[in-house]
Amino acid sequence: MSLFSVLSVSASGMAAQRTRAQLLVENMANAETTRTPEGGPYRRKDAVFASEPQSSPFSSVFQRELGPVATGVRVAEVVQDTREPEKRYLPGHPDADADGYVSFPRLNPAEEMVDLMGAARGYQANVAAMSAIKDMIHRSIELLR
Amino acid sequence: MAARLHCQRPMFDAIGSQLERYLDLLSVRQKLVSSNIANADTPGYKTKDIDFHFEFMSQVADARPQVIEPEGLTVKNDGNNVSLDREARLLAENAMRFNFASSLLRSHIRVLRSAIQEGRNG
Repeated sequence: MSLFSVLSVSASGMAAQRTRAQLLVENMANAETTRTPEGGPYRRKDAVFASEPQSSPFSSVFQRELGPVATGVRVAEVVQDTREPEKRYLPGHPDADADGYVSFPRLNPAEEMVDLMGAARGYQANVAAMSAIKDMIHRSIELLR
Repeated sequence: MAARLHCQRPMFDAIGSQLERYLDLLSVRQKLVSSNIANADTPGYKTKDIDFHFEFMSQVADARPQVIEPEGLTVKNDGNNVSLDREARLLAENAMRFNFASSLLRSHIRVLRSAIQEGRNG
């Protein structure tokens, strides 16, 4: 039943969007972080998606018989923002440099919110696809009764 | 799917086999729609679909459906042209068509079954 492989496609979409949402929330939480284990201020992270054919070892032979292979998605890499940090003049701050400037992460909360909404919408679309597929599988099973 | 794997001896008559092919094509299409939705944010990904009408009308029962890339969709900055609205519409449409066709096939099977059972009783 090729429909079962479609469930894993939607699942891969949900996992990818969830990873993206996680990174976006992390960005917002660290909007003012000036210290990180790597040193320097926090840098914005984002996920890069890449499409990937879905097949489990068991079903790969079977799927070859059943037409086009379903294409899932995966997080190919997590990229860090390479832009220069934002400098703010705060001479009293413990992380201020010799001239009194503090490096803050260069990120825009509005941008993060919009991306987060996009991720949530993508997640919802995958959930809708999954429940439609589940309904179709259910209908097929009912043929046996 | 069974018809395609063992197409020498179909279990159903013409109507049943057509319904089976219809369900088969619907599930292939639903697979492509789900892939499109999962890849709605993948840079460079192009929407995939099958020419549904053409595939259904073609009488070659064991041919694999041809995957096409529909044209006329807006391409975003990252080279991706998935339209979530289009995919949502297709998702709902396919699910309804599948519902309808599977009900038809079910009643078809019921007729077969009652023929078998009545024969046994008589």
